[in-house]
Amino acid sequence: MLKINSLSKSFNKGKSYALKNVSFDLKAGDVCAIVGESGSGKTTLVRLIAGLERPDDGSILLDGNVVASMQKFIQPNKRKIGLVFQEYALFPHLTIIENVLYGISKLKNKKLRAVEMLELVGLSEMESRYPHQLSGGQQQRVALARALAPNPSLLILDEPFSNLDSMLRMQLRNEVFEIIKKTGVTVLFVTHDTQDALSVADEILILQNGKVVQKDAAANLYVKPNTLYVASLFGNTIQINKNLQAAFRCPLNEDCCHAIRNEKIMVNPSNLDSDCEYTTNAKVIKKIVLGDTIQLLLKLDSGEQLSVTTQDNNIEGEITIGFNSKDILEFK
Amino acid sequence: MKQVGNNIETFSLKSKFKRFKRDNNRWSVFTLAIVLFLALPIIFIGVELFAGPGETWGHILEFLLPDYVWNSLYLIIFCSGLVLTLGVSSAWFVSRFDFPMRKQLEWLLILPLAIPSYIVGYAYAGIFDYGGSLNLILRQLNLDFIRIEIMNRAGLAFVLSISLFPYVYVSARAFFLNQANNLLEASKMLGVSERKTFFKLMLPLARPAIVAGLVLVIMEVLNDYGAAQYYGVNTFTTGIFRSWFSLEEPETAVYLSAILIVIIFSLILFEKWQIRKVKFTSSKTNNTQIQRIKPQKSLRFTIFFLVLIPVILGFVLPVSQLIYWSYLTASTVFDLEFLIISLKSFGIAITSAFITVFFALLLIYFSKWSALKFIKNVARIGVLGYAIPGAVIAIGIMIPTLALDKWLIEFLAKFGIETGFIINGTLIALFYAYAVRFLAVAYNPIESTALKVDNSIPDSSKVLGVGNLKTFIRIEFPLIKTGVFSAVILVFIDVMKELPLTLILKPYHIDTLAVKAFEYASDEMVMEAAIPSLFIIFTAMIPVIFLNKLLIKK
Amino acid sequence: MKKILIAFAAISLFTACGNDQEAKENTTEKEVEMEQVVNVYTHRHYEPDQLIFEMFEEKTGIKVKVINASADELIQKMKMEGKQSPADVLITVDAGRLGRAKEQGLLQSINSELLEKSIPSHLQDIDNQWFGLTKRARVIAYSLDRVDPKELTTYEDLVSKNWEGRILVRSSSNIYNQSLLASLIANDGEGIAKKWSEGIVANMARSPKGSDRDQVKAVVAGEGDLAIVNSYYIGKMLNSPDLEEVETAKKIGLFFPNQEGRGTHINVSGAGVAKYAPNRENAIRFIEFLAGEEAQQIFTDSNYEYPVLESIQATDIIKSWGDFKEDTLGLNKLGENNKKAVLIFDETGWK
Repeated sequence: MLKINSLSKSFNKGKSYALKNVSFDLKAGDVCAIVGESGSGKTTLVRLIAGLERPDDGSILLDGNVVASMQKFIQPNKRKIGLVFQEYALFPHLTIIENVLYGISKLKNKKLRAVEMLELVGLSEMESRYPHQLSGGQQQRVALARALAPNPSLLILDEPFSNLDSMLRMQLRNEVFEIIKKTGVTVLFVTHDTQDALSVADEILILQNGKVVQKDAAANLYVKPNTLYVASLFGNTIQINKNLQAAFRCPLNEDCCHAIRNEKIMVNPSNLDSDCEYTTNAKVIKKIVLGDTIQLLLKLDSGEQLSVTTQDNNIEGEITIGFNSKDILEFK
Repeated sequence: MKQVGNNIETFSLKSKFKRFKRDNNRWSVFTLAIVLFLALPIIFIGVELFAGPGETWGHILEFLLPDYVWNSLYLIIFCSGLVLTLGVSSAWFVSRFDFPMRKQLEWLLILPLAIPSYIVGYAYAGIFDYGGSLNLILRQLNLDFIRIEIMNRAGLAFVLSISLFPYVYVSARAFFLNQANNLLEASKMLGVSERKTFFKLMLPLARPAIVAGLVLVIMEVLNDYGAAQYYGVNTFTTGIFRSWFSLEEPETAVYLSAILIVIIFSLILFEKWQIRKVKFTSSKTNNTQIQRIKPQKSLRFTIFFLVLIPVILGFVLPVSQLIYWSYLTASTVFDLEFLIISLKSFGIAITSAFITVFFALLLIYFSKWSALKFIKNVARIGVLGYAIPGAVIAIGIMIPTLALDKWLIEFLAKFGIETGFIINGTLIALFYAYAVRFLAVAYNPIESTALKVDNSIPDSSKVLGVGNLKTFIRIEFPLIKTGVFSAVILVFIDVMKELPLTLILKPYHIDTLAVKAFEYASDEMVMEAAIPSLFIIFTAMIPVIFLNKLLIKK
Repeated sequence: MKKILIAFAAISLFTACGNDQEAKENTTEKEVEMEQVVNVYTHRHYEPDQLIFEMFEEKTGIKVKVINASADELIQKMKMEGKQSPADVLITVDAGRLGRAKEQGLLQSINSELLEKSIPSHLQDIDNQWFGLTKRARVIAYSLDRVDPKELTTYEDLVSKNWEGRILVRSSSNIYNQSLLASLIANDGEGIAKKWSEGIVANMARSPKGSDRDQVKAVVAGEGDLAIVNSYYIGKMLNSPDLEEVETAKKIGLFFPNQEGRGTHINVSGAGVAKYAPNRENAIRFIEFLAGEEAQQIFTDSNYEYPVLESIQATDIIKSWGDFKEDTLGLNKLGENNKKAVLIFDETGWK
């Protein structure tokens, strides 16, 4: 339903690109998260899709119709997209119900729809209040109700939880997506937090420096990351460089880059010969207790330092660590 | 999925042209049309620039220009210094401290804006004159050997500063009042002294607001004709008048105006640039009001007196002098016709204020809706009129409108309709001229309030399926209302005070108070000018107080 | 707050409509010959003039419509309006500007025996394009304490060493100063005029500033000993509502320079009929009325100007200054030499 073709956008006439050659598709009903660090072009991408920016190159198709290209530009108000901003952007001079009514003034039974939306987000009692009288989480839900009211074909959430503290964030995230799932709308969800993305998205699109690095199902991203960057987004990862290859005595293909996730490194593996293909000796320099897991800072015989995690509280002094070849991530 | 994005070509001329065709919407066209309309007088004067200066240019260059430049520079520097000191300090005092009569002083500080600076000039000359009020008082004390000479360059700079400092005061105070209280508290928690908080925290943060006010002051200083003329100080503007009228060389006057325009335009660019530079510092507006400190008694009264000084100098003294003169001349000047003139002045001023603000809104929002980036810069050309002396604008308006009028007369004559001038000598030309002259006055407060509205708010309205115009009416206008009303009031006051342009373009039988005051003063009947001056002041005072209410409410 | 706004809007609408209507009337009045009008562009803005205009309206039924502005601005305006200019009469407060208007083809010759006969010939244009209506003399106001009038002789003498640091005079942008210098150029030649300007600048007590009245005050305050001023301002000061000004004016003496020679420099406030006057006949009647006895009496009585009609008795204050011999230089010369005068002022540093 959404199709992006080699989309490019520069804010300085081509000196640098906020987005470069971005292409991807979205199927109806999908919940897709766009993940990337700040400055990676996430917000620019959704603003382009919503029609708040104009592309310098490439095209955007919604339901098979071109809404933006080099020749054509459909105004945002004609695109039927729902957008929830990071800062909610509620209209401060309108009441909650007026905010929700705003986008559906042409609807016949608009009042009914607005009330229904507020019920959906659980704020029916607040309808005559003003935005500033609401808490951050409540404002968030009003913004959602407002965006959903016109029954958009695509809902975009731009960093909707970044203004909230982590407890509230998790709770609200689940609530919001429960609501969204009920409506069955296609969702594009922008976040810099992989936890957010992993917990709600069917698919995740990774942006780095304005380019798409990978787009895949959440599970695949963990198992088969395209780059070291993607790998490290989903958990601590150690790059197996030349020195480590030597230490573990595991020669790898020189044309590729390799890495191993921290949790895949075994500490004092029980049956050295059968279970663990590559091993080396190390000395514990520092031990940090993180609840039920323990982080160990190790120094290898070769002088390299690295950190691993373990459940065993009794590990000290000289130890052995190792990993298996099936756990090695290989990138081109 | 084919990878067609050939990025080398993204910014090729051909692609640029393609996008230009895509992005060139009606708003761009409208913006250009309005800018053209407002810049027309300037353009017509600018065209004469290509004819080069007149034959006396060499003469001016040799004998006059150094003096003009030096005096204008002197005034700018002196006035900037004094205006900043008075404006910023009083703004800080009233927004940070609680002291006796603070509320009253808060709006009294704006009142000097209600007095045209040339009238302040007359009043001060009257006070310091031989036989003037001060002289008489000193005579009573046998101290009349003391004579303060005010009619010189420094005196002029003083007079201009004292009547213009409220521009800085208003914008600085608006900033201080709306600024997040938590910044101040944070500073307090860190144990930073009051003084350091002011100089290290508030002052840098308030800089864009202060500079915006200062630019207005500098424009007014450069535009002043009446006071400079009376005080015998030759500035750029008196030079424009001299070459236009005394030397009869409009082209030379235009040349001087052009230089002035360049100076002002650089100032505007400078303001824009420095605001952009420090934009990141201005945090989002927090609605919590500043918690005023109640200092010790002795300090309280010190602050009270410090704040009182600009009020006395800028308002109480000149107004007292005017009241004294009015008392002397009331019987000759005051009559029913006078009341009618006052009412007409008021009507003209308020109507042109609404028209001007309307144009400012059109420019700001049309250029915003235009998808072409350069349009936003083009829109700013529309505000250039403020930099140009009123008389020059009047002439610049007469050139095109007269041509149009003459054409209309001939055109209508073909259909057997005989008319006189339709634009010239009617209110249309006058309103047009005020709009050209005072657009900047309306533009700046509206723009700065509009900047405070986060883009995501109108954006979300658009995404919700509402077009630009409706978004403006339903969302943006309610949010920038304060700025719009301040703009109406500021233009209103300026029109009430405006003189040279009104003199040239006003219709028959319509006098304004400013014209009346000037007529008296220019015929050395400064005393008789007092009553119309006082009327200007009082008519302008009403909205000034109103403006203040708006600011406080915010 | 809303109420106030509504009130604002209502008032503005009300007055705006009123004004528009008036503007329309203006234009329609020209079509409908029902009402006679005369459109006057005038630099004179004195209350007594208003009285005179009303008298004219009463007597003739011709309505007087006035635009007030400085002569320079009015001339620019007429120039630009061209053939369609609504102006019928141009009134200025000095002959130089009338000469300039004539030069630029903004005035027309008129035949009025009345005007030609009653107004002395040096006070009217050779081509009958304009006529002087009132006279003012550029005189010397001196301190009664510090100056012996016997020391005073001519304008030319003011550049002598004797007056070093003693002369007060206003800015050279003032038309009366320009006309004075123009008369010196006409009488003595450009070279001497330039030397004269230099000499005055050298003898100035202070940099030029303020009005003629301010010069008088400065004399009394002791900043200088004599001032070059316009006669009728002294008259006004003597009748000022401010008693302090009256006292000040009493402390100075008036001296009419060049009595032994060509006479004191005078200037006129005068009027001419606009080239494209739509109401030419009314314009002539209007000017004739201004040169009539009734109007002339008011000019001298309330504005302390010298009448151009010899039959009119000057007001007491003017009489007290005594008769004087006036420079009969054709006032055309003032306009012709005006620009030269301005250039000389600049070159010699007269601010």
